[in-house]
Amino acid sequence: MSFDRPKELLKPVKRRFIFMTLLLAVLVEMIPLPHGSTRWLPDFISLVLLYWLINQPRRVNVGIAFLMGLVADIATAGMLGQHALAYSTTAYLALSRQRQLVMFNLGQQALAVLGLMLCNQSIMVVARMLSGSAFVGWSYFLPPLIGALLWPLLTKLLLLPYRHHSV
Amino acid sequence: MDFANTPSFFRSGPKPGTRLLLCALASIALLVGDSRYGLMEQARDGMSLVLYPLQRAVNLPLGLVRHVSDYFTVQADLKSENDQLRTRQLEMSARLARLETLERELNELRSLNAIKASRNDAAQLAETLYTGRDPFSYKIIIDKGADAHLQPGQPVVDGRGLLGQITRVQPLTAEVSLIIDKNQMVPVMIARTGERAILYGYGGGVEIRYLPLHADVRENDMVVTSGIDGLYQEGTPVARVSKVERNAGAAFSRITTEPVAGVQQTRFVLVLQQKGQTPPRPAEPVVPVKKTKGKKPADSE
Repeated sequence: MSFDRPKELLKPVKRRFIFMTLLLAVLVEMIPLPHGSTRWLPDFISLVLLYWLINQPRRVNVGIAFLMGLVADIATAGMLGQHALAYSTTAYLALSRQRQLVMFNLGQQALAVLGLMLCNQSIMVVARMLSGSAFVGWSYFLPPLIGALLWPLLTKLLLLPYRHHSV
Repeated sequence: MDFANTPSFFRSGPKPGTRLLLCALASIALLVGDSRYGLMEQARDGMSLVLYPLQRAVNLPLGLVRHVSDYFTVQADLKSENDQLRTRQLEMSARLARLETLERELNELRSLNAIKASRNDAAQLAETLYTGRDPFSYKIIIDKGADAHLQPGQPVVDGRGLLGQITRVQPLTAEVSLIIDKNQMVPVMIARTGERAILYGYGGGVEIRYLPLHADVRENDMVVTSGIDGLYQEGTPVARVSKVERNAGAAFSRITTEPVAGVQQTRFVLVLQQKGQTPPRPAEPVVPVKKTKGKKPADSE
């Protein structure tokens, strides 16, 4: 357990809750937002997915990441398989270091998440460029940065329903 | 290490590595199949049908917010907008009167010429459901699809000009590729001179390529569809020339243009019918078949 989160016993996480949060992330992704906002809004599906991969590796695995990637592909009208490939690769990377990642405190975790999300974006850029798109510019790598900054908040939020006593 | 008596506690199916291998192979197969061969259209249709209620649900609160803010519009705003609309209507009615006479003349000429004047002007209003958040693809999703008999290829416009073209029709929705999308080409002409060109989208904007250096193009020229592709009706405004660079070293002049339609802001769009009625390709002149050694079909050329 981390230093700023003293050892605490949490209620077991329900499968339904995991599903609900992932669904919520997909919904957020589909909100029609003004055009400029997609330049900096992080990819919520991959954030939530990473949270569950790190904290519930027995429930959420590479297969789930792949499925969520497919859903993201359809929802964003992108190329089929682009998100799926990126998500399953990052899921594998996160799982291979999962035992270290849970021990980190939130700041260190945020750094790791930054790396993972950057990897996510690079895979998608490469997939896109191989299929003949032009490079969209370095601002494409801004969302992971904001996602990493949001990581501590997300962790606190997703922990809320599983505290025994609300503080 | 999986032993027969390993408690179920420790068993978790195949290793992450194996899973990654499977998933990566599957997604690469999907990528290739989708981008090269377009194999996944059926699956995409099905999935879009499943996602449709979600899209609707997400749009609902936004629609409510819009209603509320519409309700509380300031009166001054309404007044000024009303004035604007009134002047615009005056302009339009003047133009319409002129157009009507022109149309009558045209119809007479057509009937004289025994051309069927059955241009189908039916248009369908659709609402933008959402814009894909993928920065690589400039597409919007509209709320009409196969249920409204849309077909891929139909042009889509807004109040100001050409937006794009329907590229994919799903049961309840349709995907519109905007003119600024990469790989979108629109046959256009410069409205002032009638010079024909092709407008290329390059992902985020449009430009006219391959116009010779001596072409008569100026800044602020309107670019309209030329209608020679049998797809877009002629005369729809598409873009405005914003910059012309003539570099003596290059073979063509560099013409930067700005789309006139609210390519990324519009909420309501109009789906037009395809122009259709392209006259049939003139029959190939009959080439006398030369005597060759092998037996070849006559129309092999």
